[in-house]
Amino acid sequence: MDNLLEELQPIFRDVLDQPNLIITRESNASTVEDWDSLAHVNLVTAIEKRYKIRFALGELQELKDVGDMIDLMKTKLGQK
Amino acid sequence: MTEYQWTDLFVGLRHGFSAAFTEEMMKNFENLSGDVNPLHVDHEYAVHAGFVGPVLFGMMSSSLYSRLVGVYLPGKYALLQGIDIDFNSPCYVGERLNVEGEIIFLSDAFKRLEVKATIRKDSRQLVSKATIRVGFHG
Repeated sequence: MDNLLEELQPIFRDVLDQPNLIITRESNASTVEDWDSLAHVNLVTAIEKRYKIRFALGELQELKDVGDMIDLMKTKLGQK
Repeated sequence: MTEYQWTDLFVGLRHGFSAAFTEEMMKNFENLSGDVNPLHVDHEYAVHAGFVGPVLFGMMSSSLYSRLVGVYLPGKYALLQGIDIDFNSPCYVGERLNVEGEIIFLSDAFKRLEVKATIRKDSRQLVSKATIRVGFHG
């Protein structure tokens, strides 16, 4: 589970089409180029498919950066 | 046109239809796209290149994927958000093309669905296959 940030790197690189992108826990839509609303939907659905988890819209609206997403993922993966 | 609500949709839901393109449609697509590549507009050139005749524009046959999601799967409340297409074999004016699509993924968070779709000839030869990402605005 501590490797989630590393596991998310290829997902972000693929969805955002940036092969050299490196995200951190502090990365968010304001700091990453082309992370727009459609890319956000694509990122969320890619994560849902990869980890076989589902998010609710309300949960996602509370996230402010990748770190928050990872923490939410950990909660959901722990519940499985 | 189907009018599925979000809660009506499920993984495995399928729709299909058939269509064919005419010479006039080819000319119209040539005009609107500006694609005048001889493989599509010059019969003699296309035959010399080893094809039966002018090859249907790939983006034109793929317009059937637009119909698939906009009219059938999910229909009225669709918003096309992305599509990946492989063009497997050429097709020609007058050939019947059979389009089949199936929902393979649903995400409630943003009301996003994904459809796996194919276009095949009557012989079952694969013309193209696509993964289509569709938003739902209902």
